[in-house]
Amino acid sequence: MTIEEQIVLNSINRPDHIALIAGDEKVSYSQLWERCLVAATNVKKKYGLKQGDRIILSASANIDFIYAYLGIHIAGGICVPIDPDTNESRFELIKASTAPVCTMGTLLKVEGTSTIPLSNLLESCDVVEPFRQIEIDTIADVLFTTGTTGAPKGVSLSHKNLSAAALNINTFIKNTADDVELLALPVSHSFGLGRVRCVLSKGGTLVLLGSFASMKKFFGCIDRYHCTGFGMVPAGWGYIKKMSGKKLGQYADQLRYIEIGSSFMPVEDKELLCELLPQTRICMHYGLTEASRSAFMEFHSEGKHLNTAGKPSPNVDIKIFDAEGHLLLNGEEGEVCVKGNHVTCSYWNESKDRFAKDFFNGYFRTGDSGYLDEDGYIHLKSRIKEIINVGGKKVSPMEVEDILNSIPGIEDCACVAMPDPEGVMGELVKAFIVTHDESLTDTAILAALKPKLEVYKLPAAIERIDSIPKTASGKVQRLQLK
Amino acid sequence: MDKDQILGTVSSIVAEICGVEKDAVNENSTVGDFPAWDSVGHLSILSKVEETYDISFEPEEMMEIEDVKDIVEAVYNILQK
Repeated sequence: MTIEEQIVLNSINRPDHIALIAGDEKVSYSQLWERCLVAATNVKKKYGLKQGDRIILSASANIDFIYAYLGIHIAGGICVPIDPDTNESRFELIKASTAPVCTMGTLLKVEGTSTIPLSNLLESCDVVEPFRQIEIDTIADVLFTTGTTGAPKGVSLSHKNLSAAALNINTFIKNTADDVELLALPVSHSFGLGRVRCVLSKGGTLVLLGSFASMKKFFGCIDRYHCTGFGMVPAGWGYIKKMSGKKLGQYADQLRYIEIGSSFMPVEDKELLCELLPQTRICMHYGLTEASRSAFMEFHSEGKHLNTAGKPSPNVDIKIFDAEGHLLLNGEEGEVCVKGNHVTCSYWNESKDRFAKDFFNGYFRTGDSGYLDEDGYIHLKSRIKEIINVGGKKVSPMEVEDILNSIPGIEDCACVAMPDPEGVMGELVKAFIVTHDESLTDTAILAALKPKLEVYKLPAAIERIDSIPKTASGKVQRLQLK
Repeated sequence: MDKDQILGTVSSIVAEICGVEKDAVNENSTVGDFPAWDSVGHLSILSKVEETYDISFEPEEMMEIEDVKDIVEAVYNILQK
């Protein structure tokens, strides 16, 4: 059953139960469903959306976004959610790749493109079209990831992928229709959007906050709406800890669950959370956009395995293969590969033959290397993919390198992730440069980068070396620099 | 050091980290006013303020800081001690 079909059932079974809260506005399941049908009708009649057409949606955590997102699916369309902060070149690439019928929502950094306000979708229409069953194997979303090369790559997720992932997650976390979840994650990414689907398909209540930035609002919402859970990335915990100390512990009796996203988290941080929240299910996932939440671990019940990425999620199988696609035994290191109904059905605009190369014997190749121990726990060793994760924001090393290489005096360079010495951001960008210009200071390099890069993408450290390690074919071997 | 001086310095820090003109920042500018002033931006701003004045905020103080005025007050209070 698709997510939308589960929501319509919730609107029949518990019509007055609150689905969404944003500020002072509360929306019941019956209201949510009515508005989604209006949005679906409008998107077809006013904007000409036909089965399989794409709409780019600037995704911010507000109520209108939720109506638009579900409405497009109900109308048979494909959502392409992007960050409102998406820059112009990335937007143009996504637009060229998906050829959307229109772009909806506010884009902060793109000029000259007219976008349709999300609220237009709720304008009254004469006849609201009834719900027609959605074909479960059709594509629902295309999410663009940060490729190592800097070129965005579209991950297609079918309705079947989305509902399988929601089922696996809800089964592991043990969510119920009585849960009230505080959503402070961006909804343009797999994690935050996944939380929306999990809560609404289960019939719970979602409180839209949109950001962790204000701790006053964060704790204010937990108090006011008696929230029972939330999702965060490890850097989010770093932030909460830094900004509010151990205050989260005051909610130990109230918080039933926390879902934590996949990036490195120090064991001490995990232990502190366990200490502050002794009764909460603290569930950390391992996954990627292509295979959302492929593995899980719960900190209390699996406390002896805190240094691992957990075990395969319910209904998911994980195996380790070598570079030639041979199955490896427990303890042997290779590529982590995932099988399950949640695994992406295709890459957007990529041939089936090319896509087939991302699999070994039906198992999707994650690009992460690791091994399984004798208890079946996954130990991640390194990322074959080289994206740098700064406080939950993805940085392509090549984007920074391209700008560094344009600075006079820099002959070559490579960027890698370095651990944040403060332990808050998780990773920071470190640049290795080759230069013979002794007058080229770090300050001068940073001054040249600043106008062209967001602050979190600026290198936190710059090291001068004699040469950048490369393969015979000239590909930068960033892992050798770590 | 008076509050106006602190306001000038803090506004410059916010402007630099958020990638906006200093004129766009005033004492009521707050978290979320600029796209870059999210949790990562907020932390960067507070770290830079701590570094600039060689002070450190306690978590209880941090939680109360939401806008430029709050930062100025917090810095002023610590410098007075």
